Amino acid sequence: MTKPVLIVGGGPAGLSAAHALASAGQKVVLVEKEDRLGGAPILDGYAKLVPSHEWAKDAIGAMVDRVQGREGVDLRLNAQVQSFDGEPGAFTATLKDGTKIEAGSTILTTGFTHFDSVNKPEWGFGTYPDVVTTVQVEQMISSGKGIRCPSDGRVPDRVAILLCVGSRDRQIGREWCSKICCTVSANIAMEIRELSPKTNVYIYYMDIRTFGLYEGDYYWASQEEHKVKYIKARIAEVTSDGKRLLVKGEDTLIKRPVSIPFDMVVHAIGMDPNVDNMTISSVFGVDLNKYGFIAKQSTYAHLAETNRPGVFVAGAATGPETIDDSIAQGQAAAMAALNFKPAGKVAAE
Amino acid sequence: MPIHEKSLIRKENLVENENLVIDGVDVSGHWSTFITGRSLTDYNEAMEEEIAALPGGENIHRCWQCGSCTNACTVNAVNPEFNPRYWIYLIRLGMEEELLRDKDIIWQCVSCNKCTYACPRDVAPEGVMKATAHWLELKGHTPKSPSTEFDEEFSGQVIKTGKIEESRVIMNFFRRTEQPLAQPWLVALIKGLAFRFPVFYLMRMGMAVVRRPRTRNWAKSRRAINEYVQEVEAANRAAVGAKGGH
Repeated sequence: MTKPVLIVGGGPAGLSAAHALASAGQKVVLVEKEDRLGGAPILDGYAKLVPSHEWAKDAIGAMVDRVQGREGVDLRLNAQVQSFDGEPGAFTATLKDGTKIEAGSTILTTGFTHFDSVNKPEWGFGTYPDVVTTVQVEQMISSGKGIRCPSDGRVPDRVAILLCVGSRDRQIGREWCSKICCTVSANIAMEIRELSPKTNVYIYYMDIRTFGLYEGDYYWASQEEHKVKYIKARIAEVTSDGKRLLVKGEDTLIKRPVSIPFDMVVHAIGMDPNVDNMTISSVFGVDLNKYGFIAKQSTYAHLAETNRPGVFVAGAATGPETIDDSIAQGQAAAMAALNFKPAGKVAAE
Repeated sequence: MPIHEKSLIRKENLVENENLVIDGVDVSGHWSTFITGRSLTDYNEAMEEEIAALPGGENIHRCWQCGSCTNACTVNAVNPEFNPRYWIYLIRLGMEEELLRDKDIIWQCVSCNKCTYACPRDVAPEGVMKATAHWLELKGHTPKSPSTEFDEEFSGQVIKTGKIEESRVIMNFFRRTEQPLAQPWLVALIKGLAFRFPVFYLMRMGMAVVRRPRTRNWAKSRRAINEYVQEVEAANRAAVGAKGGH
C-alpha cells in the first residue's frame, strides 16, 4: 500500500500500531487531539504500571520516543479529524484546521474516558476533599509528594479504596466490568503501604477480578506482603462526622452494618467509552456496541475490523482494556492495515 | 447457631421502657420496644497483629474468606458454631467483642489439620485456632484449657527430671482440672493391671512413683530448656501486651 495509514489517537495502542507499521516500512500519519503523545498514562500522570512496575513516564515515554521523529511517521498534534470520506484504499480525512490527509486505511485508537465520580454523589466525591479517585492517587505517587489528605496535607492513618465506581452498576447504565481497577487498586494499595507503612489500607469489594497472572502479583501480594485488608461490602454512602470521613455499608460476610471512620476514601474509577465516541462514530461511519464503545467484528474471522472496510480499531476504544493488551491490539491492527486490500482490487492485482 | 441463621437481633440489644409516654400516647411495655444499633463503628487494627505474633498465627493475613477451613472442619460437623472462617475474619478486622462471644468454643479445635490441607492460601487455620486460644488465655479472657493444663504438667515433669511418670501426670492433671481421681475407667484400668500384669513390673512401677527417677546429668539441659521456654513465653506476652512481657 503506497498511501499512508491514518492512526487516530496517540496512546499505547496508537503508538504501538505506528511503530509496527513504520518498522514494516509503511508510511503513517498519527493524529492526536492533545498537545502530546502517550494517551491516558501520560496525560493523566499514572505512576507505576501493571505489571512491569515501570514508571509510566519511562515505559510509555519510551514508546513515544521511538515513534517521534521516526522516518515515515507524520505526527499531527492538537489535531482532530472533522470528516472522513472516500473509499477503502482511498480515504480522505479532513482535519479541523482544514488540512487534508490521504490514507489507504485507518486505525482508530481513540481510547476511553475515566468515569466521572460526580455521577455517584452518594460516595462523596466533590463533596469532601478527602474523597479522591485512583487517578488522583496515581498523581500523588508520580509527583513524588506522597499520600496526603487533600484537605490538610496530613498522612492518612486509614485509607479505604472502593471498587467498582462507575462499573457494574445498572443505576448509572454501566453494565460492564472495567477489568483493570481491581489490579490497579491492589497496586495502589501496595504503593501506599510502601510510601507510608503506618497507613492501613482497606479495599471494599464485591468480587476481586485480578485476572490471570495478576492474582499472585497483586491480589495475593497485597494481602500477604503488604497486609492490605479486603472487606466484602458495596458501600452505601460516604459521609463525614465533621472530623473524618464515615464509610457506611454492610459487611456481607458477617451480615453487619458498618460505619467506619477513614481519613481518605479512594474511588477505583472505571473506564467509560470515550466521551467523543458519538462524534467518532458519525465521522468515521463506524458502529458502536450497546455499551457505547466502538464495535469490533467477530474476532474469529476478522482482525481488528469495524463494520466499515478499511477502518480498524484497537485498544480501549473497543472496551475496557489493559495497557499490555492495547499494545498487542495495536500491533494486530497494524498487521490488518498492512495487509488490507480493498474489495474488488484483489482480482485486478 | 450456624452463621447464616445467626439472629440479627440479640436479646441484650432489645430496649423496653416500662413507663413511657410519647406525645401523649402511652407506649409503656412492649409497645416501646427498641432495637439498639448493631453497626460496627471501628476496626481494632492491633488484634490481628497480636494473634499473628503468636506461634501458629503467622499466616492469618493471607485469608480470603473462601470457607474451605470451616467446610473441612471436624468440629464444625458436630457443632456448627465452631467456624474458623468467621473467627479469622473477626480477628483480621479486629472485632474483639464479637470474637469473645465464642471464647468458650474456640479452644475445642481438635488439631486434625483437615483445614490445613484444604486451605488454598496456606493460612494454616489450625495454627490460627491454637494462636487464638493462646491469645484468649494470655489476655485473661479464658482460663487455661484442659489441654494446656495437661501440656504444662507433662512438659513440667520433663523439664524437671528429664522423664515423665504417667501416674503422676494423670494425678496432677486431674487435680489441676478439679476432676475426681477415682474415674471409673481409671479404676477399671488399675484393677485390670493389678490382676494381669507381672508382679515384677508392678513393683518397678510402684517404686517409680515413690522414687521419681531422673535422667542423669539433666541439670544442664534443664537450664537450657527453661531459658528457651521463658524467652518464648515472654515474647508471646510482649506481643499481646499482656503482663510479664518485655
